[in-house]
Amino acid sequence: MTFQEIILALERFWAEHGCLIVQPYNSEVGAGTFNPHTFLRAIGPEPWNVAYVEPSRRPTDGRYGENPNRLQQFHQYQVILKPSPLDIQDLYLESLRALGTDPSRHDIRFIEDDWESPTLGAWGLGWQVWLDGLEISQFTYFQQCGGIDCKPISGELTYGLERIAMYLQDVDDVYELLWAPGIRYGDLYKRAEWEWSTYNFEQADTRLQKELFEEYEKQVAALLGLGDKRGKGGALRFDREPLKRLVLPAYDAVIKCSHYFNVLDARGAISVTERQRYIGRVRLIARAVAESWYAQREALGFPLLQTATAAQ
Amino acid sequence: MSAEFLVEIGTEELPSSFVRHALRSLDRSALELIAQARLGTEALSVHPMGTPRRLALRIRGLAERQPDRNETVMGPPWSAAFEKDGKPKKAATGFAKKHGVEISALRKQSTDKGDYVSAEVHEDGKPLADVLAELLPQLCQRITFPKSMRWGPGEIAFGRPIHWIVSLLGTDVIDFQFANIAAGRTTRGHRFLAPATFEIEDARNYEKALEDAHVIVDTEKRKARMLEGLLASAKALGGVLQPDAFLADECVSLVEEPFVVPGRFDEAFLQLPDEVVVSVMRDHQRYFAVRASEGGALLPSYLNVVNTAQDPDTIAKGNDRVLRARLADARFFVEEDLKAPLADRLKKLESVVFQSKLGTMGAKVRRLEANANAIAEWAGTDAAACQAAARICKADLETLIVFEFPELQGEMGRWYALREGMEQSVADAIRDHYRPQGADDSVPDQLVSAVVAVADRIDTLVGCFGIGLVPSGSADPFALRRAALGILRIALEGPLDVDLHALIAQAHSAYAGDADLKPAAEVDAALDDFFRGRVRAMLKDRHDADVVDACLGAWDGTSVRDLRTRIEAVSELRAAPEFEALAVAFKRAFNITKDSARGAIEPGLLEDGAESALAERFGTVRDQIREATGARRYADALKLVAKELGAPIDRFFDEVFVMVDDAKVRENRLRLLGEIADTVNGIAHFHQLGTKLQGRDPSVSA
Repeated sequence: MTFQEIILALERFWAEHGCLIVQPYNSEVGAGTFNPHTFLRAIGPEPWNVAYVEPSRRPTDGRYGENPNRLQQFHQYQVILKPSPLDIQDLYLESLRALGTDPSRHDIRFIEDDWESPTLGAWGLGWQVWLDGLEISQFTYFQQCGGIDCKPISGELTYGLERIAMYLQDVDDVYELLWAPGIRYGDLYKRAEWEWSTYNFEQADTRLQKELFEEYEKQVAALLGLGDKRGKGGALRFDREPLKRLVLPAYDAVIKCSHYFNVLDARGAISVTERQRYIGRVRLIARAVAESWYAQREALGFPLLQTATAAQ
Repeated sequence: MSAEFLVEIGTEELPSSFVRHALRSLDRSALELIAQARLGTEALSVHPMGTPRRLALRIRGLAERQPDRNETVMGPPWSAAFEKDGKPKKAATGFAKKHGVEISALRKQSTDKGDYVSAEVHEDGKPLADVLAELLPQLCQRITFPKSMRWGPGEIAFGRPIHWIVSLLGTDVIDFQFANIAAGRTTRGHRFLAPATFEIEDARNYEKALEDAHVIVDTEKRKARMLEGLLASAKALGGVLQPDAFLADECVSLVEEPFVVPGRFDEAFLQLPDEVVVSVMRDHQRYFAVRASEGGALLPSYLNVVNTAQDPDTIAKGNDRVLRARLADARFFVEEDLKAPLADRLKKLESVVFQSKLGTMGAKVRRLEANANAIAEWAGTDAAACQAAARICKADLETLIVFEFPELQGEMGRWYALREGMEQSVADAIRDHYRPQGADDSVPDQLVSAVVAVADRIDTLVGCFGIGLVPSGSADPFALRRAALGILRIALEGPLDVDLHALIAQAHSAYAGDADLKPAAEVDAALDDFFRGRVRAMLKDRHDADVVDACLGAWDGTSVRDLRTRIEAVSELRAAPEFEALAVAFKRAFNITKDSARGAIEPGLLEDGAESALAERFGTVRDQIREATGARRYADALKLVAKELGAPIDRFFDEVFVMVDDAKVRENRLRLLGEIADTVNGIAHFHQLGTKLQGRDPSVSA
């Protein structure tokens, strides 16, 4: 199976199982979780089933295209099932069959792996899935998102597409993967890995990244009307009605901040103590967005809840 | 006797620690609930079992029926329950209703505190099945996990989502509901090898039925089967299994039926240190290592415990590939590390925080050098080697391989150091200064390693105490208790015993310019107390607690071995027949003189007979006792005390009344006893020793 056939097989499988097939987000994200189709939709009571590919950036994982397993940009296939159905594990194993892998011929195991995104104020419990000793997926029941308790709970399945493709194509070097007949992964991304590694580790202008971080951070407060004062128990205060807040542009600014932080981290421009402070700052604005999103959906009467009831 | 009872909760894959935790709580709660419900018999046995996908409990020996309950229950005061004319008040009707008796059946009971209402309560015992149906939801609710999660609608919390419940008393289903699931007799087998649901006819057949469905539900049986497979596979590879208790527990809880699939890797990877190869296999992949013979060379093979092995070749091939990539990564890290000498990493330690108020690791290393230098001089050993070891001992924390495998700290530093041709004792210290790592670990046996080990631990202790970061309750984030214990054990079991006060002072002065610590005297007092607490906890397991306390009382907090010598001397004396009388006498001497003034003894005021005899004897041996004490020959000192003072002091207390009216005689007498008490107290505080006889107080009884 070529790389693109794997994507197509997963798209078809999850479309047949009731997921909306949407597109990657057009900003720099570290994982499919950052896409608003996951981060925002996991909040609140509305049902939501979605699947998409997410090109994900991890600046510190770059290896200048020299390591056969590590990349600064890789591809996740992300599935959100909300509320998580009781047969979610069976569905996942069936999806492996759609990739031509018979689970009973292999050793498949669910190994404890709790997930946490300190910048998003999100965490969940679940597993990494091993296929013959190779971690091919992350499987998470979201418990909290943007500091808000999830109810219902979203089940998140994240497939590591490069790893799965290397397994299926029986190659040891990611750059040898066939993306499509005649075109290898290396043809598309080897040079990109070198350029981005060089940028992230050596040439990214740290002054500019810091400035961008600060400016986008201010944007979030401005777009949401987030005040400096805190209420009881550190509650956030907004001086604007939920429907007057620009939640989506504000969330874009959160994603930018998170990315600039990652680049600064890769550049070694952040000390250990500063690091915690940066993470805390992103978490705060992510929380402000999450709370605003919830308030906005509530003000709209949680529209998808009504759609779901009507469909029944 | 009732039929066997079985309950099984089917879940999604539970982490191993969750299964252990849950089974413990299940076992405990079951016993509590059975006792409360009066269902136990002499034959009661509760057996918890579990796999990643199920928690089960088998109970044998339950009573068929709850015994009836007959009990007198006390209620409110009579006056609060009935009017003077005998009309019942609210308290009476409430009490009667609560216990299901008529008002007319309430009795008046006289007690010390006045009249109270009482009732004879009778409760019919219920059949076992009825009681179980009531207890089971409570039992399930009481299962605890290290962390709970919610799923689906998000209303229920458990270790992982629940899929089914089996509840059988013999052949009958005990109905109950938990987590919106109704209990029944339907279970599931192995996820891949027997995925269909099936019914359990009789609780007695549970284990067998599951075994047929490829699930070995009893953890111990599953583990035995797994180890059998591992040993056989290692043999088939022409080697022996490298035992690993942690890995065995981990692997057995990741499978429902264990299969062993061997795999291979390129022999070239064996040029890496064994520890690296084993760590890669163990930590990343949970593979067992195989050696040519016990303690012999590693074979280029591994053993993988899997849950499904229908196609072992495919599984081995996949795992080989993963391990190959992992080992290639490790080799890359080692090759990169070898491009620069270990000492080059010292620069990087300057930007690593040791503790926010105590500065960087770079600063810590400089303090370690100063401490090591001082300690080496006290110990009369090679100060240059100790200082060099202190300087280099943390450098490997900044190597790529230790960043990837933190548990290889020390081990890899030693390996790199030896390749650079560093002196053996210095290289060994990089590894051994971390020892003892726990109660089971031994202390460093070489002096250089011991010096660095002590230098490192005292720096952490003084720094943390200096900023008020002291352990409280179970919170001890910097493992200060272990650090203190390490220093004590190195003195008692290892090659280095140093003056703890001098050590604290040295470590404190080394912080000058690095951090703002509390004054040295304050830190010394707090740490002295801390060391005493640790050493007491450690030694009272091996010696009588009161002997330890008596010696701690006399100990000056310097040499740990000195404390041990005292304890051994006192323990030896305690075993001797004359101990009891001696201890009682010195206790009396101490108690009677503890508030009185000391001073020169006036011979002219001594009474003839017992008093002057004691004074005369004491005058002769006092200096010898003090000399032996000063020279830390406590056994000799105590022998002198026993031999020379035993009889005279006994006679004194028998014949002489201390608290006479004549103030001059009395004070002189107290001065004599006071000096004797002080002399003996220099060895150990006898008044803290337990005795069978309590000393008579002569001021009252004589």
